[in-house]
Amino acid sequence: MNPELESLRTQITEEIHSAPDLQTLKEVERRALGKKGALTALLRQLGKVPAEERPAFGKAVNDLKVELTALLIARQEEFRKSELEARLTRGDFDPTEPGMPYDGGRLHPLTQVTEDLVRVFLGMGFAALDGPNVEFEYYNFDALNIPGDHPARESQDTFWLDDGNLLRTHTSPVQIRAMEKFEPPFRAIVPGRCFRNEAVDASHEHTFYQMEGLVVDRDISVAHLIYTMKTCLREIMKRDLEVRLRPGFFPFVEPGFELDVTCPFCEGKGCSVCKQTGWIELLPCGMVHPSVLRHGGLDPEEWTGFAFGLGLQRLAMVSFGINDIRDFTGGDVRFLSQFYHR
Amino acid sequence: MLLSLKWLGRYVDLSDKSPQEIANDLTMHTAEIEEILPFGEQLSEIVVGEVLECGKHPDADKLSKTLVDFGGDEPLPVICGAPNVAQGQKIAYIGVKKRLPDGTKIKKSKIRGELSYGMICSERELGLSDEHEGILVLDSAAVPGRPLTDYLPIQDTLLEIDNKSITHRPDLWGHYGFARELAALYGKELADPLEGMNPNFPVAGETLDVDMKRAKRGCHRYCGLVLRDIEVRQSPEWMRYLLLAVGQRPLNNIVDLTNFLLLDLGQPMHAFDMGRLKGKGGAEHPEISVRFASLGETMKTLDGMERRLGEDDLLICDGEAPVALAGIMGGEHSMVEADTTSAFLESASFDAATIRRSSMRLGLRSESSTRFEKSLDPALCELAVQKFLALLPEVSPGAHATGPMTDPAAWSYEQKYVELRPTRVNRILGLELSPQQIVDFLEPLGFGMDEAGEDLFRVAIPSYRATKDVSIEEDLIEELGRCYGYDNIPPVAPLQPVTVPYREPELVLTHKLKHIFAHDSDALEAKNYTFLADEHIERLGLEDLPYVRVTNAIASHLSRLQRDVMPGLLMSMADNLRREKFVSLFEIDKGYYPEVRGEVLERDGVTKSLPFEVVQLVHIVADRNQGSEHPYHRVRGHLEHALKCIGRPQLDAIQLDAPPPWMHPGRTAAFVDPTDHSRVVAYVGDVHPKIIERLSLDLPKKGGGVAALMIDLRQLLAVPRQEITYRCKPRYQDQPVDLAILAPKEMQAAEVTRVLEGAHPRLLREVKLFEVYRGQGLPEGKKSLNFTAVLGSDKRTLTTADEERFIDRVRELVAEIGCELRG
Repeated sequence: MNPELESLRTQITEEIHSAPDLQTLKEVERRALGKKGALTALLRQLGKVPAEERPAFGKAVNDLKVELTALLIARQEEFRKSELEARLTRGDFDPTEPGMPYDGGRLHPLTQVTEDLVRVFLGMGFAALDGPNVEFEYYNFDALNIPGDHPARESQDTFWLDDGNLLRTHTSPVQIRAMEKFEPPFRAIVPGRCFRNEAVDASHEHTFYQMEGLVVDRDISVAHLIYTMKTCLREIMKRDLEVRLRPGFFPFVEPGFELDVTCPFCEGKGCSVCKQTGWIELLPCGMVHPSVLRHGGLDPEEWTGFAFGLGLQRLAMVSFGINDIRDFTGGDVRFLSQFYHR
Repeated sequence: MLLSLKWLGRYVDLSDKSPQEIANDLTMHTAEIEEILPFGEQLSEIVVGEVLECGKHPDADKLSKTLVDFGGDEPLPVICGAPNVAQGQKIAYIGVKKRLPDGTKIKKSKIRGELSYGMICSERELGLSDEHEGILVLDSAAVPGRPLTDYLPIQDTLLEIDNKSITHRPDLWGHYGFARELAALYGKELADPLEGMNPNFPVAGETLDVDMKRAKRGCHRYCGLVLRDIEVRQSPEWMRYLLLAVGQRPLNNIVDLTNFLLLDLGQPMHAFDMGRLKGKGGAEHPEISVRFASLGETMKTLDGMERRLGEDDLLICDGEAPVALAGIMGGEHSMVEADTTSAFLESASFDAATIRRSSMRLGLRSESSTRFEKSLDPALCELAVQKFLALLPEVSPGAHATGPMTDPAAWSYEQKYVELRPTRVNRILGLELSPQQIVDFLEPLGFGMDEAGEDLFRVAIPSYRATKDVSIEEDLIEELGRCYGYDNIPPVAPLQPVTVPYREPELVLTHKLKHIFAHDSDALEAKNYTFLADEHIERLGLEDLPYVRVTNAIASHLSRLQRDVMPGLLMSMADNLRREKFVSLFEIDKGYYPEVRGEVLERDGVTKSLPFEVVQLVHIVADRNQGSEHPYHRVRGHLEHALKCIGRPQLDAIQLDAPPPWMHPGRTAAFVDPTDHSRVVAYVGDVHPKIIERLSLDLPKKGGGVAALMIDLRQLLAVPRQEITYRCKPRYQDQPVDLAILAPKEMQAAEVTRVLEGAHPRLLREVKLFEVYRGQGLPEGKKSLNFTAVLGSDKRTLTTADEERFIDRVRELVAEIGCELRG
């Protein structure tokens, strides 16, 4: 080989190998193969080379170019690789550093509990209904088999209004409204706000949230009530629980029951929450009283039904561990911002 | 109410049942038992002692120094003040560091120089009676060191009944009623309440006239009996201990006997001292009348309180004055006292509603009124008198009735019947009970079962279940259900038609809006009371508005209902803003306008109406960060986003003419139905500066502010939903064009937008105002509205010529309304 080529080859090869970084390598490439590079300069001298040597010289220069290019690419690859490796090291990355603060909005815990319930009951074919908070005495009492001198009127501590109406003491008036509005058979729930004129403490509120349930069909029985409550409560409480039905008295049902569930705190073994009984009183329920059906325009010989009422604050207190019922009201952000579930 | 198992045992044999079993069975079949309480344990620290020596205290006349053997290592000296202490007595002894039933801890003490270890107890110290003159002396066979309760028949087990669970059962307000339940439940024999007694009255003799004519519906039955040769003294031990166990303090034999029968049969009675009852006009022989009080009449009840009465309060009077508040409490001057020798016994049946109202109005509840409120069986009146008379000789030997029982109403039970169909029973309970099973469940409870036909019983209702409790077929079905045990009914899935459940549109909208505001607009959902506190009304200056008022409010913050939801949330915002720099809250609730008629109800020829109800979403953003942007635009953005999400982006925004007093009158926009501008669906704006001042919000001098919006859900639902019209992705590149339009300051953006929208309807896809510039560099009285218009075609690529033609057209059109296209 041409000694000039040979020395160029040695020199550039050496430079490629010793280039400390990509930038120096580019510089080497420019000097060797660039427009003004050494090899280009050699090719430009091709005319000066004797004609018979030209093909061999040309080939030798070209070969050298190919060889150096390959070397350069290989060396570049090395640099890229080590550069990538360098970038993949952790450096001062701190996995415990928090992100940018994001204060999203929240649904009120009672809304969350209510929506969960509505979803479960919708899935079971229950319509979702609403009724007015300021209610006629007729719907709140008379139509529900609580006539004028019935003790339940006083025990329910009603807020009476100056226009002769009242703040509903339960969501049950919507039972009558539903019977008036829909042709049976139907199933409905009514989440809503209710009022009782009583003193407030950590476990009592004059404003509370209830969810009424009503099923009316031709042959609805206690057996159906038990099945339905068991099924939905298992879904709502998200555990396999037992329910038990015992006598309870409410004027608008007959027979009336108190429904207990196995205590979620001790799983029925007995603890201070359930007073060692293993059971927690969860909801009042019963078969719709024939006089209530009649007030709703239905013939009790043809239609039967069951109804239940669920206390929503109580459920929210159990599911979120809230221990003071007063916290639900007032809009304190230190309370509201804690319930981040969607 | 407390039930004593010992007491129940007088009527039904429960010896093979544990207290837990009984409590559980009653809970599951009859009434809720809240707790099982052992009775007598409070005496567990007290033992039998023997007085080995008894002498005078060297330094005190009235004290004795004794030496007591209490079964310990050695006898100890005890100083005793009782006059009846004597050597050789077996007594109740409590040692040092032990506690008496009232909680007092006994200490080693020095009494006038003499050491005393423990105490010899009187009945009062043991909580057994009021007797404190002398110590309790036990039977001489008692063994020192043994627990006192081995020698006192006091130990018992109590079941605490949840009174709420028996409000509908007048028959369960005494032990006998529960005994009847348990006997039926366990298939056991139930003793007669008068078993082994001779309850006969004298056929003739002294009686006392009772005038019920003015009692009208207030009194169903009044039985009276005159008793003479009474000796008022302590009741027999068994009665005192039963009364003590259920929390009734023994007083004297006559009063104790009425209390015993109250708790035994559930019948309240009252014994008047005959000597203190007067006749009419000073006549010697007293008489009794039952009448309603006259307005303003007063009487002193035996608790010493002067009661001012009304025309609905029922009284028992002698010839001169009221002697008892009927069914609630006796009068002060006529009660049986230590010197009483003759008594008039009252056993009456008062009207439940009369007693309940009277007792509520006077704020006076008693064991007696609690029972009368439940509609007691008038048959009990006579039974109780009989039993009283039968037990009288035992509590006061020699005492006797002087004549027959007075019973002017001559009440007798008119047998009631209810028809019962076994098929109906099984249809409601979801069971397959045979007619025989039905008979077997109901008969032990006292129901008379008469098979009246195919699938039909004619059930005779006993008087004690007939006053209000059992009157229709369903009531009997309930009896069968609870006897069978609801818990034994196997669950069955209901067969129901497959339907898509209806969802109230307002609830669906509420649900959507809540999620939009919580999760898109990052606001916290608050819940406030429906009441608007007087204090807040005053604070916000909203006194002049009409409110629905509560007539029986227990506090000033519960006396008025809110009209709108905003004031309540403004208060929440203000509370939070004292701690926080930035607050974003929303709430959905109802408000009431008394001056507008809402839902109307016509019944029995009477028309009633509810106040007009509104359902509002309100949202407030308050920012007190120095130099921050006023939150109006943020809140407005939230509103526009929400309207779009619920399919009502087409609303027009106009200046709100008469904003509510909490909104800035000049800076509040109304969102209205485009086809009817009088339908205001929402408003958004700055909160009134006066409100900010009244709430003492600490806003920075520069920047920050409070903005709010309200959406009326019912108005919103009245606006038709605008469906999405899909346009396919542009095939050719869209061409955005920025337009800066110099407009007079007072010109509304909507006007300019409308003009732009008309500039090239065919190619114009969208016009968006992205900035309003009011800063420096503009001519006086002008603002710059900066728009982005998007041009596009589905047929071809647009050219510069299209863009230029559009710009020229815009230039012309805006000039026509007095604006200028800049640049």
